[in-house]
Amino acid sequence: MNVRLDTIRECLEGALPGVMATCSADGAPNVAFLSQAEYVDGRHLALSYQFFNTTRRNILENPHARLIVTHPRTAERYRLLLRYLRTETGGPLFERMKAKLAGVASHSGMGDVFRLLGSDVCRVLEIERVPGPALAPPAPRPSLLAALRLTSARLALCRELDTLLTEALASLESRFGFRHTSVLLLDAAGTRLYTVASRGYESSGVGSEVAVGDGAIGVAAREATPIRIAYLAPAYAHAGASRSSAQPGSADALETRIALPALPEPRSRLAVPIRAFTRLLGVLYAESAQDLRFGYDDEDALVALAGQLGAAMLALRQAGDPDEGRASPEPEPLRPAGPPVVVRHHRGDDSVFLDDEYLIKGVAGAIFWTMMRDLVDAGRSTFNLRELRLDPRIPHGQGSDDLDARLLVLRRRLSECVAALRLESIGSGNFLLTAHRPPTLIDLVG
Amino acid sequence: MSADLDCLSDPAHADFLTSGVSISVASCGADHIPNLTRGIGCDVSRDGPDLRVFVIAEQSRVLLDDLRSNRNVAVVFRQPGSHRTLQLKGHDASVESLVAGDARIIERYRGAFTAALAALGFGGEFVRALLGSGTGEVVAIRFTPTAVFPQTPGSGARRAPEGPR
Repeated sequence: MNVRLDTIRECLEGALPGVMATCSADGAPNVAFLSQAEYVDGRHLALSYQFFNTTRRNILENPHARLIVTHPRTAERYRLLLRYLRTETGGPLFERMKAKLAGVASHSGMGDVFRLLGSDVCRVLEIERVPGPALAPPAPRPSLLAALRLTSARLALCRELDTLLTEALASLESRFGFRHTSVLLLDAAGTRLYTVASRGYESSGVGSEVAVGDGAIGVAAREATPIRIAYLAPAYAHAGASRSSAQPGSADALETRIALPALPEPRSRLAVPIRAFTRLLGVLYAESAQDLRFGYDDEDALVALAGQLGAAMLALRQAGDPDEGRASPEPEPLRPAGPPVVVRHHRGDDSVFLDDEYLIKGVAGAIFWTMMRDLVDAGRSTFNLRELRLDPRIPHGQGSDDLDARLLVLRRRLSECVAALRLESIGSGNFLLTAHRPPTLIDLVG
Repeated sequence: MSADLDCLSDPAHADFLTSGVSISVASCGADHIPNLTRGIGCDVSRDGPDLRVFVIAEQSRVLLDDLRSNRNVAVVFRQPGSHRTLQLKGHDASVESLVAGDARIIERYRGAFTAALAALGFGGEFVRALLGSGTGEVVAIRFTPTAVFPQTPGSGARRAPEGPR
């Protein structure tokens, strides 16, 4: 092949549909438009199979197909000879294509018509540039590799989860131009993702949750594969993207009490799993109000960055700080003043409310309640990560290796809620809890 | 499923085939390898059942060889934006030189297709490049449709054996 498949990936973004020719076993040609072709690797494409039709029947009889795709900026056309290999009806490739097709379908008014039945994986045998005029290519974009290198160097210096995530999202904005981003981590049960950091939203949404399988983020987590959608795709919106109006104390609605950081109508989405070895840690997510904002190269860059994030997060969890476990001396006690701040804890789900405002639940809720008890009962204000990991009052915390992330969510939630309580990192895995108003603790069984 | 061929005599169909639709032509080689090229215009005969589709020879050499060899052709017409799609098939394809007036038909098509793609955000320069032949030879593929297949997604295409992919 004179043309490499990875150099013509922009032709596969769906701006102009491909055209596909097949032949029956007795030599009758057929030609049809193709909703979607997906780059699999340097030698393979996957074609969307949506209807059982002549194209389908032909390709099962005679596996050769000819495809013409068009570059959306230069009008260059490429003619490919393909050999059909197999059909996948589930799994990462299928889910990637299903999500992308949902965007294409919605964009073209075919949201109720297009439904992916399978991903037809084909070997690319030939690629030919169709002779003819072409427009000059657009000015090259800033190098994503250079951006990745600079970002990678910055991340390598980060010794805490907080700075690691803050630096990652800041770099995505300044070096990649990704203005709306977030990081969600997988909970211990592996069923939900919680937001631990975001950038580019009016409200951070830290502590908000997405169920695994829900929307672009949830599908990326479930299938451990990047999900990239080029257009508005209502089918891949997230259930937690709007704030619930449920009453305080109604536990079933807590998941939606904090709105997910999300644009009202994102026209491009890119959700990339954060993995370390074979383990899924979370999802790195970017979205945009612009159509076709993220291409294959952006996806590659974000996957590489997510790989470094995953390795760094796991290393931070496993190594800890060299001084972690060395307790900090207690500072002079603060004298709280003003009306009391009511801290209500529900034992059932460890949800915590401050003056009736929902703060957090689950492991982070248990951590906070334990700290508040120690603060009120024993006057203790400094806490150590290693001690917290072993504290039997935090049942779900034992064995859980994401306490650093839970503490980060807790700290950020406290900074966004009632100003009377603060939790700060004071280094070496130590944290300082301060109450500027006298806390009143209420522990409820339900 | 093939629709009634009589529908092609409907002037509305002729109008559709000669409007700013995207046109693609397919053939099948002796080795059963399909071939494909873009059409740059269509002329519907006013006094006969046949029609002609124009293609750029340099872009279509293998396909033209196939047609000269076995004469089996499939042509799909699609209206950008609406996705209204029709495929025609024939068994008597022949490759002909252009005749007087064809250049005007191709130019009219270029204008109509430019307008159709402009509605989707593509500029005139883009369409000129897409349809441009440079100084290359343009030829006509003449054939008599023997089968017509509506392929518009959502209009029963899910059941139609020739429907979109």
